[in-house]
Amino acid sequence: MMTAYIIRRLLQSVIVIIGVTLLSFLTLHLAGDPTYLYVSERASEQEIIDTRQKLGFDRPLPVQYIDYIGGVLTGDFGTSLRARQPAMELVMERLPATLELTLFAMAISTVIAIPIGILAAINRGTPFDGGIMLFAMFGQSIPSFWLGIMLILSVGLGLRALPISGHVPLLEPLFAGDFQTAFANSGDALRYLIMPGITVGVFSLSRNARLVRSAMLEVLSQEYVTTARSKGLREQVVIVRHALRNALIPIVTMIGLEFGFLLSGVVVAETVFSWPGVGRLVFNAITQRDIPVVQASVVLFSFLFVGLNLLIDIIYAQLDPRIRLR
Amino acid sequence: MSGRSRLVVLVSLLALLATAFGVYAQTTPDENTLVIGQSVDVGSLEPSLVGSRAEANIFGHLYGTLFDITADGTLAPYLANSYSISEDGTEWTFTLNEGLTCHDGEALTAEDVVYTFQRAANPENAFTGNTVGFVFPSVGYVDARAENDLEVTIITDRAQSEPLRLGLLSEVYLHCKDYYESLTLEEAAESPVGSGPYRFVEWVRDDYVAIEAVDPSAPSFDRIVWRVIPEASTRVAELIAGNVDIVANVPPDQVAAVDASGVAAVQAVQGTRRMYVGFQFGEAFADSPGYDAIQNTAVRVALQYAIDVPTICSSLLGTECTRASSMVNPPNDNPNLTPYPYDPAMAEQLLDEAGYPRNADGVRFEITLMGPRGRYLNDANVVQAIGQYLTDIGVQTTVEILDWSSDYLPRVREKNVGPIFFLGTGGSTWSALYDMADLSAPDAGTNYTNWNNSEWFELWDSTAGTTPEEERELINQMLEVFYNDPPWLLLYFQPDFYGVSNRVAWQARRDEQVIVLDASLAE
Amino acid sequence: MTEGVQKQPIPNVGVAVLHGSAAQPSMSEWKRARKSLLGARWPILALLILLIMAVMAVFGPQISPRDPNRQSLIERLKPPMTANAEGVVAYPLGTDALGRDILSRAIYGARVSLAVGFAAVVIGGLLGSSLGIIAGYFGGRVDDIIMRLADIQLAFPFILLTIMVLVVLGPGVGNLVLVLGIGQWVTYARIARGQTIAQREKEYVEAARSIGAKDLRIMLRSIFPNVLAPLIVIASFNVASVILAEASLSFLGLGVPPTVPTWGGILAESRDNLLGGSWWLAVFPGIAIMLTVLSLNILGDWVRDFLDPRLRGR
Repeated sequence: MMTAYIIRRLLQSVIVIIGVTLLSFLTLHLAGDPTYLYVSERASEQEIIDTRQKLGFDRPLPVQYIDYIGGVLTGDFGTSLRARQPAMELVMERLPATLELTLFAMAISTVIAIPIGILAAINRGTPFDGGIMLFAMFGQSIPSFWLGIMLILSVGLGLRALPISGHVPLLEPLFAGDFQTAFANSGDALRYLIMPGITVGVFSLSRNARLVRSAMLEVLSQEYVTTARSKGLREQVVIVRHALRNALIPIVTMIGLEFGFLLSGVVVAETVFSWPGVGRLVFNAITQRDIPVVQASVVLFSFLFVGLNLLIDIIYAQLDPRIRLR
Repeated sequence: MSGRSRLVVLVSLLALLATAFGVYAQTTPDENTLVIGQSVDVGSLEPSLVGSRAEANIFGHLYGTLFDITADGTLAPYLANSYSISEDGTEWTFTLNEGLTCHDGEALTAEDVVYTFQRAANPENAFTGNTVGFVFPSVGYVDARAENDLEVTIITDRAQSEPLRLGLLSEVYLHCKDYYESLTLEEAAESPVGSGPYRFVEWVRDDYVAIEAVDPSAPSFDRIVWRVIPEASTRVAELIAGNVDIVANVPPDQVAAVDASGVAAVQAVQGTRRMYVGFQFGEAFADSPGYDAIQNTAVRVALQYAIDVPTICSSLLGTECTRASSMVNPPNDNPNLTPYPYDPAMAEQLLDEAGYPRNADGVRFEITLMGPRGRYLNDANVVQAIGQYLTDIGVQTTVEILDWSSDYLPRVREKNVGPIFFLGTGGSTWSALYDMADLSAPDAGTNYTNWNNSEWFELWDSTAGTTPEEERELINQMLEVFYNDPPWLLLYFQPDFYGVSNRVAWQARRDEQVIVLDASLAE
Repeated sequence: MTEGVQKQPIPNVGVAVLHGSAAQPSMSEWKRARKSLLGARWPILALLILLIMAVMAVFGPQISPRDPNRQSLIERLKPPMTANAEGVVAYPLGTDALGRDILSRAIYGARVSLAVGFAAVVIGGLLGSSLGIIAGYFGGRVDDIIMRLADIQLAFPFILLTIMVLVVLGPGVGNLVLVLGIGQWVTYARIARGQTIAQREKEYVEAARSIGAKDLRIMLRSIFPNVLAPLIVIASFNVASVILAEASLSFLGLGVPPTVPTWGGILAESRDNLLGGSWWLAVFPGIAIMLTVLSLNILGDWVRDFLDPRLRGR
């Protein structure tokens, strides 16, 4: 049953991905002729006409799109107009750096958020709870670019405690199977990751902490927890075995939807911290109307999103036996 | 759960932070390496595909050219040592230096120069950008031919001013035939083999490009790393922290902080880029308010007096700058012309006389000023300030600011900006005609205002095949025409700010290029 | 995609709201609300702050001391409370890089920032809840199509869509509102749909149907009021996130044009002046954003807790 479900979901995702490419294709082409971005500062009329033809923008839109989809089905995502390299290759090359950021952000927004949320719930009403919740409130109300620049000026430039900007690859050698380099880089990589990672993750960290707290409060007041307590189970056991499990459900749901959200933070953080990831690539590609690169990244992200949510639904079903996959 | 476990969590969090923060050591570059921060990455390392400053900066180190535009803005022999011109001026034969090689050891001869030109022009390669798009049409490129191993002839369809053509050809990056013939275009874009003093080492996209000296015993740095740092504040922070040696485009309001750091200092140089407000003559804006007014020469002259350029420079650009008297960079300009002064009373008087008195509400006429953001030094603020100055003399100005690359640039290229618009255009110190080439013909792609002064364009056509003295006389006449019937509201030559680490001895150039062949460690 | 699983999507809000009572508030409910609000310290403070912001937004032209766009280059970057030669403090919060009055710009900024926040949420909320109710009410093919659209929207990273649309249409208040609004419809649609499915089979809907009421009338009169409450909670959180999104887009150069003062825009512009020491450019719009977002979150929390009977009284 599980397999059938997964296959059906994957088929659905094909529709989603076609929709996503069509949407981005139309949007970018509605913007008018991208040719002007690929001619020199003092271009002549003739150069503009020639360039338009070289880039293929003189063909009717439907032809361009069908051409494109035909290519995608055979694994060809087109060639970047600016870099003259296969578009998907460019995106994949940059993906590890972005994954480092997103995973770090997801990690702090769960690994840190869950314990502090639980602690706040258990200590409800104490100054500890108040402090955590105040911090969480601020974390949710500070624009991320601002936080990033402040971190650079204070921690990076003021204290000289962390590197200001740049990137040391970690996942890239790891994916390439070069464990030695990955290990050797790991210390530096982490140091370079902290400030941009916090910039991306602090909003989610704060929100999740609050979410865990209120979910915990709700669960703790429920009968089966009270029953467990009255049976004389130790408090830790009650919390870990009964309460936590239920409190995790909203968090797991959040993570799936979060991915797209974290990406917005990624575009900003990659710009502030000179992080060579997909966020900046695609931002530049959009402003330069490098349509194949935009398409390739949109397809990749939709795919990751769809996959992640499928995974989460499966985890979800494990967490809550009342939920059945249909 | 109790105080104890709470403590455990807190302590472990602190420990995590401490390990992360504690052992970080500063990564100041070593003494053989120079690190340069620039805002954008190269799009490609294909020598025939240069389109941006970032690319020109790196190619300037990787590739040699026939002649060179030197740091002080003059033309000097480089890979070629001399040239001769055919009777009719259309064929230029360059003599190459002996013993030239590319970085892979291949000899660089006339045949390779021919290959460079023909490869760039080959329509199958579909190159765009500066070489094919600007240099070739500007010199009227037809073909190239090798006379022997050391002599190469560039064939064009026209005679041309010597410095202008030499300067243009100095933007073609020479490379070797055998290597590039063996590569696909995709491979060529990632693995350049050049003919210049530095060779390519590594490129991590959107992160850095590293190059190293071909001759390590040369006095310049052994290794140069071009880091991509898009955000200006981050660039300056890295400079002050000592991790980056040279950064371009320091925001004017951060200059003082750099100078006060004790680690680096800002060099302000007078750039050659001409900044102006264009008056649109094209029909596209015929229905916009203010369009009719600016068709009147007297109004355009009056508006020249309305803008306090020195104050804009000192407050928004953080430096003193001279107001332009023409579109030509000094010292090639017309010495008899004096820049229009800031004299709002004069502006108002001239507007009254031109038939645009203030109405009851104090407004003479309304107009829209378009401008970009994210392209020129403090552009959005300068444009808003200009709008305020115009409003002050009764020209009620609506400022419309558009994103440069996605919005403004395409509109400029379509000549679809106006009725008045803010723009800058790159200039030179080695040819007045290069600076004037924006307006080389009424239908020139760069005549963004659609100006059509017949006197100017007749004079322009008569410059071909003249002696330098005759040419000078014609240029002076043209600049006078421009001064009295201005298509542009002349502003300033854009100053450039380079943050330079105190450990480095280097002099910034005026032409926006970052060339560090003569940089060394400071004493 | 998530539609395949029987679970409620819960972006931005705690799980509580989704099980909350969604009955139309009666008179006694309002009374209870007033009592509960007055009994709580933080929500009342938050409400007060939001009221002040709203007053600034509505009466901006009347209360702002100067023209927010009037420049004076010789008076640029004056620190707060600088007195001029006559000892008069002309600019209580200082001036910006073009010599414009920060106080006036912050007041006008409230106008645009709040308008963008609320308008975007209204657009997203109306679009989303109508589609959600339609999907939930009719079910079947209609439901499938709408939910598939929602999947496409969700899988399309919001920021990419936003950047694309703004690059295409050009930055401007209208376009910004449109794209930030449309970007949120899925959240509302999913919740409205879930609630509608729950309401659809209820007796009063059956009753309305049996007396021959039209579908549109049932959706508007019977269902909409009953799904409204949880949507309002989400809306209050979303206004906050739209205000933050506007700031981020300003940073990327895609917010409203710099001639229109917004908090996010002023904050983004200030970053070049920070190293130069002009802290006041950032601090005041920053505080305004933080207070507003904070207040909206606190109030949203309170509404959620209030609507959830199980959390009541804790």
